[in-house]
Amino acid sequence: MDESERDQSSAARPDSYEAAVERLEEIIDRLDSGQAGLRETLDLCKEGKELVTYCAGELDEVGEGLKELRLDDLASKLDTASEVG
Amino acid sequence: MGETVEESRLTPVPGSSPGPNFPGPFAVGTYARKLQGWMRERARVQLIGEVTGVGRSKVQAYFELRDSEGAVPCAIWLNDLEKAGLDGAGLRDGAEVVISGGLDYYPGGGQASPNFCFRATHVRLAGEGDLIARLEALRKQMRAGLFELQKQLHRPALPKAIGVVTAERGAARRDLLAGLERRGWGGSLIWGFAPVQDRHAAPAIGRALQDLAARPEVEAIVVTRGGGSLADLWAFCDETLCRTVAMLRVPVVSAVGHERDSTLIDDVAAVACSTPTHAAEAAVPLDCLAARESLERCASALRRAGEGAVETRSRHLGALARGPARALQRERGKLNQKIREIRAASERGLADRAASQRRIGTLVLERARRRAAGADMEKRREALHRASVALRAHEPERTLERGYALVEGDGGEPLTSAAEAGAAERISLRFSDGRVRARPEQRGEA
Repeated sequence: MDESERDQSSAARPDSYEAAVERLEEIIDRLDSGQAGLRETLDLCKEGKELVTYCAGELDEVGEGLKELRLDDLASKLDTASEVG
Repeated sequence: MGETVEESRLTPVPGSSPGPNFPGPFAVGTYARKLQGWMRERARVQLIGEVTGVGRSKVQAYFELRDSEGAVPCAIWLNDLEKAGLDGAGLRDGAEVVISGGLDYYPGGGQASPNFCFRATHVRLAGEGDLIARLEALRKQMRAGLFELQKQLHRPALPKAIGVVTAERGAARRDLLAGLERRGWGGSLIWGFAPVQDRHAAPAIGRALQDLAARPEVEAIVVTRGGGSLADLWAFCDETLCRTVAMLRVPVVSAVGHERDSTLIDDVAAVACSTPTHAAEAAVPLDCLAARESLERCASALRRAGEGAVETRSRHLGALARGPARALQRERGKLNQKIREIRAASERGLADRAASQRRIGTLVLERARRRAAGADMEKRREALHRASVALRAHEPERTLERGYALVEGDGGEPLTSAAEAGAAERISLRFSDGRVRARPEQRGEA
């Protein structure tokens, strides 16, 4: 991936899950309206699929089971790490 | 002090030299007794606060009455405590009480230490009304702007990590976990356990909140505890704690007590919930299970739209591609039909024309025949006339008229030679004006 492609992909990445879902709903409304031409339809489908992938990734991140941590433990680890460092 | 001990006319100790600016020196015992008198003259008031450090001697109970702003050492005679019905375990650490009394000072003695305290003559557990009034005072004391700061923060629909401040063994912890599970959320949960009911609670909760908010991965914090009286929940009305919450960069969801309970932290939090289960929903606004289903529907809709767009257009293109051939075929059909029609019309026309021509020919022929027939008759008539004239000219009658006679046999047959006439028995001489029968007399003479 060259620089421009990296820039483009990062620009296409939504700010948040909510932003992604909002854009996805816009896309589906536009497609459902039947007013999009072939090129626009294909572009919207591509963008929509990317958004679906992004949202699925976000959901997967919180779908692997609850991870319970204790603030005290985290603070201890941080202290240990700083001592070792 | 409005009135100083100096003003109560203490007598300086003779022979001693005064300090640079202050009067005296005075004998300390005298000063202490004067101080006691002065303190006892102060206004008698009621105080409300949390009891801590309860201790008892043979004659009195002593404790501190404190809130987040400060504390006052207090003492009450055991008989007064008994009258208040709070002897035994009635006066305990953590209890919210209202005490009545005033300042007191025990000057001590040769062996006894001096002691300053608020001498309570009456004590009662703070009632709901007292605490509500105190809460209202705190609400007024805090600027309204502080209540809005948390509410302006963005709350992510799908936080990856949530901090929780609650009691380690409280029912709220279990309820919160159940709520998150129902939501289908399985991110990181960082527990900041803290006491939730005593004078140590508010500072510990505040520290836990600050520590959690300092972690970059934490996107929302839940503060929760189960139900109780307002006195039990009083730690969540602590002004310092609430100011801390208001200033946090991470949205705080409060779920303290039950639905009817309202604490100061509810006012400053981004969202106030009635139960830990509701707090789970507020901390994770997105129902992950429903979101997965919705996302699947979106993906299907996109697939259908993409495939449908190509398929529809492909069919359209196919139809367009077949169009010219179909149009040609259609036009060819039309052309053939025209040709058939023309041929039929032509055949009909030819037949009509032939018939017409035949009729015309017939008429012409008829006319010609008629015309031809007319001219022929005339000619014939003329020829006949001429023949007739010629014939008449050659008729024997004409000859006979000129004086000749025709010899005919007995049967009327012309006898053209003398031999025939001479051979015949009887002959007839035909003249123009009639016949004369005769008998040849001489036969065979030439």
